[in-house]
Amino acid sequence: MLELGPFLSSMIQGGRSWAVSHGVPPIGAQIAIMSMEVGITILLVSLVPMVLVYAERKVSAFMQARLGPMEVGPFGILQTLADGIKLMFKEDVIPEGADRWVHIFAPIIACGPAFVCFAPLPFGKGLTLVDLDTSILFIFAVSGLSTIGIMMGGWGSGNKFSMLGGIRAAAQLVSYEIPRVLSVVPLLMFYGTQSLKGIALAQQARIWGFFPKWFIFYFPIGPIAFIIFLICSVAETNRTPFDIAEAESELVAGFHTEFSGLKFALFFLAEYAYVFLASAMAAALFLGGGDGFGIIPTWISFLMKTFAMSFTFLWFRWTFPRMRVDQLMSFCWKFLLPLALINILLTGAWILFRS
Amino acid sequence: MRLYHFLALSGILFSIGIYGVLSRRNILGILMSIELMFNAANINLVAFNQFLYPGNVWGQGFVVFVITLAAAEAVVGLSLVLAIYRNIKSVYTENMNILHG
Amino acid sequence: MIESLVFYFLAFLVIGFAVVVVTSRNIFHSALALTAALSVVAGIFALLGADFLAASQVLVYVGGIMIIMLFVVMLSQQPTDAIRSQSNPQWPFALLFAIAIAAELVQKYRTFFGAVEARPGILPTSAPIGRLLLTEMVIPFEAVSLVLLAALVGAVVFAQDRQESRLP
Repeated sequence: MLELGPFLSSMIQGGRSWAVSHGVPPIGAQIAIMSMEVGITILLVSLVPMVLVYAERKVSAFMQARLGPMEVGPFGILQTLADGIKLMFKEDVIPEGADRWVHIFAPIIACGPAFVCFAPLPFGKGLTLVDLDTSILFIFAVSGLSTIGIMMGGWGSGNKFSMLGGIRAAAQLVSYEIPRVLSVVPLLMFYGTQSLKGIALAQQARIWGFFPKWFIFYFPIGPIAFIIFLICSVAETNRTPFDIAEAESELVAGFHTEFSGLKFALFFLAEYAYVFLASAMAAALFLGGGDGFGIIPTWISFLMKTFAMSFTFLWFRWTFPRMRVDQLMSFCWKFLLPLALINILLTGAWILFRS
Repeated sequence: MRLYHFLALSGILFSIGIYGVLSRRNILGILMSIELMFNAANINLVAFNQFLYPGNVWGQGFVVFVITLAAAEAVVGLSLVLAIYRNIKSVYTENMNILHG
Repeated sequence: MIESLVFYFLAFLVIGFAVVVVTSRNIFHSALALTAALSVVAGIFALLGADFLAASQVLVYVGGIMIIMLFVVMLSQQPTDAIRSQSNPQWPFALLFAIAIAAELVQKYRTFFGAVEARPGILPTSAPIGRLLLTEMVIPFEAVSLVLLAALVGAVVFAQDRQESRLP
């Protein structure tokens, strides 16, 4: 078995006992190990968006019968790296009418929470960095902080297009946060825990010995919850068809019109980190987490599911047209929210009849 | 770390909120100060719960209600601010005197 | 020891941000400072072992209330706001009053609770809170849901733009 978790933990244990036997104080070794784990997670978070940006360009190219990036490296795999280096060396412009500190801190606040949200994700057996008791609530809460960064970008740029983008982003993100949280409530009721790891583990059982007990297969509550979660996650990441906050044809680029260089790169990083986060949450909540039918190692299975979900996100972006603002709002408040509430009711009835 | 430290923090936060309510001209500033005062009360409730009655969660249950009511208050207050702004094009308290006899 | 250091750091941050909230001339900066202060209060909840409350504080306050507040700030700004004073003429009395209340509160707290020193244990709190809300606190819980519904309807009624009010 190619399980990464037990291997890593045995290596970490071995390293710690080696360090302690060579005179390092135990608390120092503990701190070193924790910072190593955090460092690995942060590295992953910064690496994943690069993969996703490349995937997005390739997927969009294939959907439009093009080739996409082909110049840098074999099949253009180094294109994102080249773009990143280019963005790093660009001149950093702060507009004259800008609110200086707000403008500087906006990308940091938009991007920072994305890194924190990866801590409670169950990447596989023994690969959860922090197993919080309230990890689902934690992820929703912390990822909501990014909205503040987007609004700061909209306000701090001193540009009317940015401002409009910020206002639209606020209205959209606050509205879609509600059905997104409500769509997960059936899972909390069903499994009786708020821990992402606990929910992922509870789905690894089998019906009749072979059929996986993933939540998405509990008809009708599973598919409804999954669809609401998917739609709201697309809206939360500001991607087409819900990208009114950065609609190119209406608002130049919305809230990040005035950002250049590394600050723009941070907004970009945040968007793709959230795509990955939403995919990973969908995989853990609805698709059985690291359930690999006992053949595939859990971490490979989890990553496969996550990247399949990410592909769905990219697919959405390149196939649907943008919605209008009023359509977007009425879709959220008049369709998704009642549907989520009805789903909670159905789940309650299901649990009542099951017991 | 004693109970008294948390209570002192909440008292100072509360008085800062009072200062904001009394001295701000902007209604939005007043609403923000009220949020500060709510949070001072929340710190107080949680601290009393954890220090004096560890093992039950009544204080934390109250904080859930306070947070909920703060959300309701903020929503109604902010929609009132928007309605006022639409009518008199100002968010300053001294301009809201159209009921002067 | 480490907990005390963390507490003093968080307390310093909360009070600093709160002072910015009530004194800043730019209302948008006030709102951002309030956001930061509320996040740090969530940190204090976590320090006290209330993990569910810390998460819901960030979720409701930062993810909901503060975004709506920033939204309203963005909608109700005028260019002259930046050069006008943001505090009214009675601010010295307000300051005196606030300092008096702070001193009184701190002194009374010190007299009555100065000796209480219990170790707050870190336990999972979400399940007990849920059980409490649906058994002993169920009537307030339902009442609060009614209040929320009333607030929702009220906000829609207040904020909607009546067409006839635009007519000259």
